[in-house]
Amino acid sequence: MFTSNPFADLTVFLPPLVMQVYIVLMIFAVAIGTLFDMLHKSSAKFFALQRKKSQAAATRRLSGAETASIAIRTIAKEVATSGEFCNPKRRISHLLMFYGFLLHFITTIVMVFGYPTQATPAPGVLPVLWNIGALMILIGGYWFFFFLRVNVAYEGHSPFSLMRADLFIVTLLGSVTLACIWEIVQIAGNLTTTKIAFGLYIFFTTLLFVSVAWSKLAHMFYKPVMAFQRRVEEANGSSTLPTPAARNEGR
Amino acid sequence: MALFSSRKTKFVDSDILVIGGGFGGCGAAYESRYWGRDLKVVVVEKANIERSGAGAQGLYAINCYMGMQWDENQPEDHVRYARNDLMGLVREDLVFDIARHVDSTVHKFEEWGLPFMKDKETGRYLREGKWQIMIHGESYKPIIAEAARKAASEVYNRIMVTHLLMDKARPNRVAGAVGFSVRDGNFYVFRSKAVIIAAGGASHIFKPHSIGEGMGRTWYAPWSSASAYGLPIQIGAKMTQMENRIVLTRFKDGYGPVGAYFLHLKTTTENAYGENYEPNWYNSIKEMVGDYVDHQPVPTCLRNHAFLQEVMAGRGPIRMVTKEAFKDPHKETVGWENFLGMTIGQAVVWASQNIDPKETNPELVMSEPYVMGSHATCSGAWASGPEDCAPADYQWGYNRMMTVDGLFGAGDTIGGTAHKFSSGSFTEGRIAGKSAVKYVKDLGSDQPQLNETEYEDLKTVVYQPIENYKVGRNEIVAGTVSPSYISPLQGIQRLEKIMDEYAGGIGTFYMTNEPMLNRGLELLAMLKEDLDHIGAEDLHQLQRAWELNHRVLTSECVTRHTLFRQETRWPGYYYRADYPKLDDTEWHVFTASQYDPKTGEWHMTKLPVHHIIE
Amino acid sequence: MPTFVYMARCDGCGQCVDICPSDIMHIDRTYRRAYNIEPNFCWECYACVKACPQNAIDVRGYADFAPLGHSVRVLREEEKGMISWKIKFRDGREKNFVSPIRTTPWGSIKSPSDYDAPSPDALNGQELAHEPEALKVKTLPTLPVSQKKQV
Repeated sequence: MFTSNPFADLTVFLPPLVMQVYIVLMIFAVAIGTLFDMLHKSSAKFFALQRKKSQAAATRRLSGAETASIAIRTIAKEVATSGEFCNPKRRISHLLMFYGFLLHFITTIVMVFGYPTQATPAPGVLPVLWNIGALMILIGGYWFFFFLRVNVAYEGHSPFSLMRADLFIVTLLGSVTLACIWEIVQIAGNLTTTKIAFGLYIFFTTLLFVSVAWSKLAHMFYKPVMAFQRRVEEANGSSTLPTPAARNEGR
Repeated sequence: MALFSSRKTKFVDSDILVIGGGFGGCGAAYESRYWGRDLKVVVVEKANIERSGAGAQGLYAINCYMGMQWDENQPEDHVRYARNDLMGLVREDLVFDIARHVDSTVHKFEEWGLPFMKDKETGRYLREGKWQIMIHGESYKPIIAEAARKAASEVYNRIMVTHLLMDKARPNRVAGAVGFSVRDGNFYVFRSKAVIIAAGGASHIFKPHSIGEGMGRTWYAPWSSASAYGLPIQIGAKMTQMENRIVLTRFKDGYGPVGAYFLHLKTTTENAYGENYEPNWYNSIKEMVGDYVDHQPVPTCLRNHAFLQEVMAGRGPIRMVTKEAFKDPHKETVGWENFLGMTIGQAVVWASQNIDPKETNPELVMSEPYVMGSHATCSGAWASGPEDCAPADYQWGYNRMMTVDGLFGAGDTIGGTAHKFSSGSFTEGRIAGKSAVKYVKDLGSDQPQLNETEYEDLKTVVYQPIENYKVGRNEIVAGTVSPSYISPLQGIQRLEKIMDEYAGGIGTFYMTNEPMLNRGLELLAMLKEDLDHIGAEDLHQLQRAWELNHRVLTSECVTRHTLFRQETRWPGYYYRADYPKLDDTEWHVFTASQYDPKTGEWHMTKLPVHHIIE
Repeated sequence: MPTFVYMARCDGCGQCVDICPSDIMHIDRTYRRAYNIEPNFCWECYACVKACPQNAIDVRGYADFAPLGHSVRVLREEEKGMISWKIKFRDGREKNFVSPIRTTPWGSIKSPSDYDAPSPDALNGQELAHEPEALKVKTLPTLPVSQKKQV
């Protein structure tokens, strides 16, 4: 079970080139969408201004080595371990979704481009990893959706009351849930239901990537940059925050 | 509300219900547990007890501490001080009662971890003035909230209590309360044998100086929405001294405290021309109030009066002379930290306007009026006094019980007990807590019963504002203007304008008279009717709607008391232009009111002031 | 001075929503991050500012009377029992302050039920819990009978 490349099995009704072009288009959509978002909201201009202000307020200059070290620490903590989260449940849920997404997305690309047809079968480990990735997203994502979203957990909203901020999580869960449904239905063998499930999968996936300008998806770019900038400001003295107290400093 | 949610009714049973988790409520919870080991003690708070109430940002002084261990003050001295400051009219039994217990409260605070400033030579608490000691109190509230959480059986945060419930069987006995969750909207019915009200007094009933965003910078917390008065008034409890509104002289705009400045930094005030103006008004004050002007320290209201006269004579702005004092680095630090641990907004004002007290003498201002019971003022419910000290007509069995059986109060809720501040309010909570335990144990099997019709009817009433908005919203395209409902903000703005223009707000330099007060009552009557037409868009607005409700009821009470007292007892707080002088012959009394919920009538009386201390 | 939330710092954890005494810190529907829904009911108590684990909340003085360009920021270190403030004037002057906030560990208060239970008679007396010891005088003051004036 689940050791067969679902994208290769698609090719009974869909030429492999279609999926390959689609993936390239989606990557493009994310890039264009993010650029459009930054230009339209002038957020790039804003960030540039902030950097200039922070450098002007700096009390010391950071060396190249220091800056590199900050970058590495940001990648190691904030990016790799979702270290910014103070709430352990949110952190775990995010780690599941983050690594699940990486696994699922990378295996998708490898299977679609590396093993496009049934004549070029993928090693069994790839679809397994693809499914594990999907499962991680689903566990982390549904947990987040039903229990951890702050408007549900802290404001008493029903999980079913949706707002624009839910665009990302809903399209992500829609995409991955339908990916699994499509895979199962495809294995079962009915061509019509496979086409329907696959169509829905593509619908949600498209929505996910195309809506980047209006959803929280772009956080994957902004958050690491912001975390890096925050560390820089702490290090170069331009932060407006007080420095931590030495113990027993007060009278 | 979302598709799949529904409004449930949740029942909470308790032996003692504490409404309000501020200083009074936390004291009540603590003491109730000490005396009632096996009792169920429930605290209900509309916000989060960790930071709720007027102590949210901290305090940098404890203004009620005797220091009996060092012979610094005795409780009788405190009674004289409070009586003097309130121009003779305080409940001396209640004030004495708080003063004799407050030292144990303060010592427990130190034990619990509140940092006290100490005198380096004597090792004693550092005195700011005769009655005040200095603390590093940024976490004052979280510390006492911890004590309350350790004591209470349950703490319900984010539940707004809107009404008390009465006993089905016995008249004039409380049986619980109702409210709603500000988070999930569920209806809560609290069934309790005894109820202690320790809610907030009244801010935002008079128009403040700042009316934009600045509306938020009131001297007394904006979330003190008069539930301390609204809840007992609704069920006919006797209220006292509700005309005794307080006006404060504080730093301009930010309302930063001046106590440490006057007492510790020893600063003084001057008019715009650098003159010490207070002595110039001595004679005119003496004409108004007689010998009271010679009492030391000069009563708060009389100092206000001099300030006000000077400003009206066109010699403002009045400034606090700080340039000398701030040259001392210790005093400069105390001056700033005083704000940071108590009224951070004043530090923000000075930073925004480049005001450094070393170089400028900062401006002072007289605030809009507030109605509360724990400061240099004592509005509130009429309560029974301590069994060993109270004159016979001041006690009817249980200390701090109101004129409704089983209903107790502490903090801003209780009238006649000026100058208790934070430590005194916590202490009064303790007193009420112990009393409530006694009451519960004496009840035995004679326990109050809820009337199901009463709380079912109230359920409809409580959510009416949400219904009004949902249905009425269909009439208009968009925006805030509807012919059929008003928002809570629109309601509070109307209330503040009425009180300002007719009941002696800043707009009339605190002056009012009988025709003005009567006109105010007419307008308040229409506002009260319009309370049935508040439109609340969501649960947050529903909370605002009920806060408005309690404020309007309280404002009517304040206006009636102001009308009833035909005298100017506290010039500098407010003036009756038609009775401009103090009149000890007729008015050396407490005013009292009782609202009849069935007829809607108010019954006003005078109550004697007994001086039990020489 | 009402609060505002930095977009780049807030991760929508809800601590500010939980602590605000005024119930005015809520979640924005587009970003799922916090913001101040009612600045005119903000007392600038800084409860949310202190509670935010990301230092994402700051205060800008009320527009009614506070010119722009100032900053009053805080770092409350609960475990250390200290609080630090950095004040920046509009003209660039800076002032820093540090104070203690607690002298005992958080959670260390003894519950009232951990004390020996009072005797049943004591309920009828005037002494409150821990008295007279906690008063640090021998007996709880009362009024001498001669001083009590009857009606």
